[in-house]
Amino acid sequence: MTTATGAAGPRPPGMSDVAFRRWQARRRWSRAALVYVVMLAFGLLFVGPLLFATISSLRANPLDYPPRLDIAQLDPRNWAAAARLGVAGSGDRWFGGFAPGSSVPFEIRYFVPDSLQEEPPEAIVPRRRPGAGLGAVLDVEFAADHATVSEALLVESEAVTRRDEEGNEIPGAYQTYALEITYQADGPVVGRLPLDVTAVSGMEYVGSTLTATRLERRGRTASLDDVAPGVFGYVFYNYVRVFNEVRSPSTGQSLFAAWIVNSFRYAFYRIVVTLVLATLSGYALARLRFRGREVIFILVLFAQMIPDQVLFISNYLLLRDGIIDFGPFSLSALWGQPGGMLNSLTGLVFVTALNASAVFIMKQFFETIPREVEEAAAIDGAGHWGRFTRVVLPMARPALGALTILTFQGAWNEFFWSFIVLTSPEQIKTLPIGLLSFRNTYGGIGDWGLILAGAVLSALPVIVLFFVFQRYFLEGVSFGGGKE
Amino acid sequence: MRERRGDNLAAYLFLLPFLVLLVVFFGYAALRAVYFSFTDYDMFNPPSWVGLRNYRQLFESSLFLAALRNTVLYAVVVTAVQTFLALVMAAILNQRIKGINFFRSAYYMPSITSSVVITLIFLWMFQRRGLINYLIYQFERYLPIFGTFLLLAVALQVVQVLWERSRRLPAAWTDPALAVVSLLVAGAVTWVLNLVAVVAPSDVPPVDFIWLQTTDAVPAGAPFWLSIPIPLVAIMIQNVFTTVPTFMLMYLAAMQDVPTSHYEAAALDGAGPVQQFFAITLPSVRPVTFLVITLSTIGTLKMFDQVAVFGSAAPLQSMVTLAYFVYDRMFPGAQLPQVGFAAAAALFLAMLTLVFVLLQRRVISAEAS
Repeated sequence: MTTATGAAGPRPPGMSDVAFRRWQARRRWSRAALVYVVMLAFGLLFVGPLLFATISSLRANPLDYPPRLDIAQLDPRNWAAAARLGVAGSGDRWFGGFAPGSSVPFEIRYFVPDSLQEEPPEAIVPRRRPGAGLGAVLDVEFAADHATVSEALLVESEAVTRRDEEGNEIPGAYQTYALEITYQADGPVVGRLPLDVTAVSGMEYVGSTLTATRLERRGRTASLDDVAPGVFGYVFYNYVRVFNEVRSPSTGQSLFAAWIVNSFRYAFYRIVVTLVLATLSGYALARLRFRGREVIFILVLFAQMIPDQVLFISNYLLLRDGIIDFGPFSLSALWGQPGGMLNSLTGLVFVTALNASAVFIMKQFFETIPREVEEAAAIDGAGHWGRFTRVVLPMARPALGALTILTFQGAWNEFFWSFIVLTSPEQIKTLPIGLLSFRNTYGGIGDWGLILAGAVLSALPVIVLFFVFQRYFLEGVSFGGGKE
Repeated sequence: MRERRGDNLAAYLFLLPFLVLLVVFFGYAALRAVYFSFTDYDMFNPPSWVGLRNYRQLFESSLFLAALRNTVLYAVVVTAVQTFLALVMAAILNQRIKGINFFRSAYYMPSITSSVVITLIFLWMFQRRGLINYLIYQFERYLPIFGTFLLLAVALQVVQVLWERSRRLPAAWTDPALAVVSLLVAGAVTWVLNLVAVVAPSDVPPVDFIWLQTTDAVPAGAPFWLSIPIPLVAIMIQNVFTTVPTFMLMYLAAMQDVPTSHYEAAALDGAGPVQQFFAITLPSVRPVTFLVITLSTIGTLKMFDQVAVFGSAAPLQSMVTLAYFVYDRMFPGAQLPQVGFAAAAALFLAMLTLVFVLLQRRVISAEAS
């Protein structure tokens, strides 16, 4: 690369050829090094927000200021503690829980200045309703109904001197208190065991077996969402909540799980419909000469450019009433859904079936297959259909693979039409609009942990697919020239 | 293969499913939109003809005017900024080195992820105490250190280049080998200066800028048609971020097709990297520029998802686009839907898109000749 040398001009007089070549080589290497650094910087910039959101989605409150990367959920000491506590609570080191007969030991450490009268903190298992919004109406078992918390006993005291903000020395001690939460009577296994430990004012929370989820009442109360979480339950607390807390008020079904299933079903239907339509019409446009070919071609181009907003008015009514509202003869009635095709995946598949760029991809691909291959089959007496199914389609396998993956991505990310067609009830939605209900329900109360966890989960399938089938995506970009 | 009689029938049989969809969901839909735009249809009562009333009323609706202003400014600013950035970034990276594929997948990440996910993440970052404000705050705090570093690096570079030139060596101002030295030395010196407290982070209060719940606009005091509401700026930043990498890679692919001999010839004529960029790179990637601008315009003019996801987080007036306006009139909550009005706005948007694209084609082909 010549711009790479950064040198414009000939060898200066008095410099040997070897020295000058070395001088130029230094330029090339330096430039390569700088380009790598810049590339890395760009990479960090573009992946940064996704990466940072993923890390923050593990935090109890992703809005905590300042934003940071060294979070309690990524601290291996907390993982070990979470596993131990999970085993103590229910014998499950991964998901934890609070089971009858169990006893969970917990230690908490404070800095107590010498000027302060030492007094053990008070611990209670609060009756905290998990989550608000969707599913808040559900009956849940509360650990508070089954747990007994022992008195906090001073088990260790270590004299230290700390400095306050002005730099004055404060003599005092680190005091560690131990307590135990027991489940004595018989009862159900409770999913989570929250704990609030309140100390007298002046005592300063330093740490505990498991890092406190948040400090309340000016640092007096150390509050934990779950003291028997298990490793998974601790690190992926928000992710477990996404599945458990958000439920349909009428059926009690996990909404997020339903959205995932719907998204996969919709993607599957879309792939089948797209493959059939795109191969059939792509073949006709690539191989057959017929009257009106140009007109159809222009129409397809035009269809790509018209904004969806022009079409959705009619198409929305079409799903509601059928082609023309003829009562019993409307399209939806014929289809066997008298309530119309709104709020159904079938309706969504119908309005999104028209995919002109998929037709173009297949047309372009079919044009690369040599005609001689087909002509040989034609001599053997095969008709268009025979040539299409027996000769052309088997050769198109790689293109069909690429199209499948691109269609999956398009369907998985599809927003506008789902937003119009799938409005209620919650359990019929697909992931993108489900996330929108998340945002509308939890964004207002600032519960971003749940929203980010849901967002990361829903981005995952496409990202995994992208890494596995990277080549196909890159082809898609050169085919379609951009995102859908 | 010549046209044969059987071909016509076969072709239409092959195309049948696609044509049915095209007629019903595209042709019929477009015609019906045109028809509705001349009626007062409200989804429940039969439509009656009102002539051009809907179109006239569009320009009396303050929400529509805001939507029109937002849409046009959004399209123009985003297209200009992301085309420029993509071009510059590609030019910086334009070198045949190994390992680009590894980075390529990182660059595609924002554009393959769903717009809802990206918008949610940005919505979170744009909160008052979010990442964006925090980064601005850190930037302001470390500005003295960063500025010192930059000044030192430039000064060192100038000194070194002058020295090399005095030895008759053909060093350009951007000489990479000297730049590496300048950056390393400047970094080390700044570090030491910071250590001995000659330069220190400045004592500024944390940034509390409101990105979302605001009706403010930039530039302050600009006339209605030129002022960009702050929440729209947030959406612009998000869109540039998501689309720039894709466009940059398109540019990069085109740049790597430019024959090396062109640059060699220019270098012999004494052209520096900047002159080479304007004389060789820019003209050879013209087709990509056209493609990028067209794609970007079509994409930005129909911006919808971000407004829907922002929802109640920002005032509607400050981010509404034409696409969202159409939706808003179709489903206006408690009021009766204004289908005719919505259809008129939708057709206006379609016309606007067409005009924009044709105009660009004109301008770019005129420039080429």
